[in-house]
Amino acid sequence: MRTLRTLLAFIRRDFLIEVSYRTSFIMQAFGIFFSVLIWYYVSRVVAAPSTTPGLEGVDYFAYVLLGLALLHYLSSALMSFGGKVRGEQMTGTLEAMLLTPTSIGTIVLGSSLWDFLLTSIKVVTYLVIGRLFFGVVIHLGNLLPALLIIALTVLAFSGLGILSAAFVLYLKRGDPITYLVASGSALVGGVFYPPEDMPRWLGGWSHLLPITYALRALRRALLRGSRFSELWPDIQALLLFVAVLLPFGILAFRFAVRKARQEGSLVQY
Amino acid sequence: MSVAVLAENLTKVYVKRRSLREMALRPFRRAERVTALQDISLETRAGEIYGLLGPNGAGKTTFLKILAGLVLPSAGRAVVGGVDVARDDRAVKRSIGFVTSDERSFYWRLTGRENLDFFARLYGLRSAEAHSTSAGLLKVMDMESIADRSFMSYSTGMKQRLAIARALLHDPPILCLDEPTRSLDPIAAKHLRRFVVDRLNRERGKTVLLATHNLQEAEEMCGRIVVLDRGRVLRQGSVTGITTGLPGRDHYILTVRGLDAPPSDPRWRCALERHEDGILRLSAEVDRDGRAFSDLLRALLETRAVILSCARREPSLQEIFDLMDQDAERSPG
Repeated sequence: MRTLRTLLAFIRRDFLIEVSYRTSFIMQAFGIFFSVLIWYYVSRVVAAPSTTPGLEGVDYFAYVLLGLALLHYLSSALMSFGGKVRGEQMTGTLEAMLLTPTSIGTIVLGSSLWDFLLTSIKVVTYLVIGRLFFGVVIHLGNLLPALLIIALTVLAFSGLGILSAAFVLYLKRGDPITYLVASGSALVGGVFYPPEDMPRWLGGWSHLLPITYALRALRRALLRGSRFSELWPDIQALLLFVAVLLPFGILAFRFAVRKARQEGSLVQY
Repeated sequence: MSVAVLAENLTKVYVKRRSLREMALRPFRRAERVTALQDISLETRAGEIYGLLGPNGAGKTTFLKILAGLVLPSAGRAVVGGVDVARDDRAVKRSIGFVTSDERSFYWRLTGRENLDFFARLYGLRSAEAHSTSAGLLKVMDMESIADRSFMSYSTGMKQRLAIARALLHDPPILCLDEPTRSLDPIAAKHLRRFVVDRLNRERGKTVLLATHNLQEAEEMCGRIVVLDRGRVLRQGSVTGITTGLPGRDHYILTVRGLDAPPSDPRWRCALERHEDGILRLSAEVDRDGRAFSDLLRALLETRAVILSCARREPSLQEIFDLMDQDAERSPG
C-alpha cells in the first residue's frame, strides 16, 4: 500500500512537470495525428494486397497503425527506465531520492510510470484516430484479451528496460540493449512489414523478439477478432519472455546498484 | 550521553575503472586504487555539532555518503543511531537527514512546496501529513511567501534553506550537512550557521555532522572536530585544543606608537612598518610556547611604546594542515 502511494506521488510529480510545459500535450496530439496521416498515405502508395504473407488478411494501414502503437510501448520501456535514471543522475535528483528510505527499485519504477501512462494514452489515441478518421475496423469484443496482451508486452519490455537501466547505472553510457532491441524490433519485429515477407536469414531473428509475438497477437485480437485459442500460442511466448526477462532485468539491476555503491558511482553520469 | 554516529576503522578504497584501450594494452595490470578514507574511527555524541574539517579531497563527503548508505565501505563499520549502515541502510535513512550544497537536487519546474511534498512522500508520509509537514517547515525556514514560486526562481540562499527543510521532513535525529554554506554570501552563510546552531541543535536537539573546509565556521559551530587530510585523521578534539597544541608560531598584528626598534628575542621575529602620524604596524611571529607572547608584550611596554591594538591572525587551513603533517611526522608511531 505504501509503495502504491509512493508510485502515485511519482505520477503526480511528472504530471505537474508535464503541465508546466504548456503546449506539450497539444503538440504531442498533433504529432500523433500527423504520424497517422503520413502512414495513411504511405499505405495508399504501398497498397499491399491483404493476401501478402504475414498480413493475415488485414489491411496494410491497420497493420502499420498497430505496429506504430506498440512500438511506442517498446520505446517507452527501453528509453524510460534507463533514460530516467540517467536524467535524474544528471539533474542531481537521483541522489536526493536515494537518501530517502524508498527503495531504488520503486524509484526507477515510479520514475517510468508517467511515460507508460502517457504512452497508453497515445496508443488509444492512435486507435481512436484510425477508427474515426480512417475507418480502421477494431473488434472491441476482444478488448480483454487485448489488454492482457498489452500487459504482458509491457512487462516483457520492462524486463529489457530494467536491464538497460542496469547498464546505465554501471556503465553510464554505451547501453547495448536499447540499440540492439530497438533497432532489431523496428527492422524485423513486424512493425512496418511482416517478417514472413523477408528472407529467412533475416526475418528468422524476429522469433527472438517479444514484439513479434505481441504484435501478431494484438493484430489478431483487435483487427481480425480471432478467438482466444488462436491468440494463446503468442500469449504463451509472451509469458515465457516475461518469466525470463523480468527476473533477469531485476537481478542485473540489483547487481548494478551494488557495484555502483561499492564504486561510489551511484550518482555519477 | 548516547552515541549518535560511530565509525570504526572505516576505510574506503575506490578502484579506478580502466578504459578499453588500457585493458587491451595491459590486460594483466592491476587497476589503480585510490584510498578515500583510511582507518577512520570517531564517535559523535547525540545532541552535539561535530565538524569534519578538511580540504577538498580529504574524504569528508565520502564519509557522509557512507553514513547515508550511498557508498559501501571497503572495510570497517559505520553505525548510525545504533544501526549498522551496511546491514540496514533503509533504517539508517529514517534517522538521518542529508543536506548537500548541490543546487541541482530539486525539480526546477516545480514549486518549493511541490518539491517538499514529493520528497515527503518518499519518506513515507501520507498525502495530508506530507502537506502539513511541508507547510510547517516552509514556515520554520521563513519561506512561506515564496513557497508557491517555482524552484528555478529561487536565489542560492533560498535553495539551500529548502534543502535543509527537505532534510527535516522525516524529523531525523541526525543531520549531515555537506559544506552547506559553500555557495552562500557571507550574510546568508552567517544566518544559516545561526539557524543550525540555535534552531536545529539547541532548540530541537539535532545531532549535526558538519563537513566544512572553513576553520572559522567549524570554530563557530562545532563543539568537537576531526581534521581529515587525504583520507586520514590528523587530529580530533575541540577546535581550540587542536590549534593550540600545534608546534610552530602564532602570527600577531599590533599597531603601536613610540617604538624605535622592535625588541629582539630568538622566540619571536618582528617586522616593522611605518605609517603616517607615527603609527607603526608590527607584524610578529611568536613561538607557541605559552610564555613568548606575554614576554613580547612586556618587552614592548618596557620600551615605553604605546600599544594601540593587537590581533591574532588566524592560520589558514592549509597552514594548520602543514603543521599537523609536520607534527604527525615528528611523533613516533
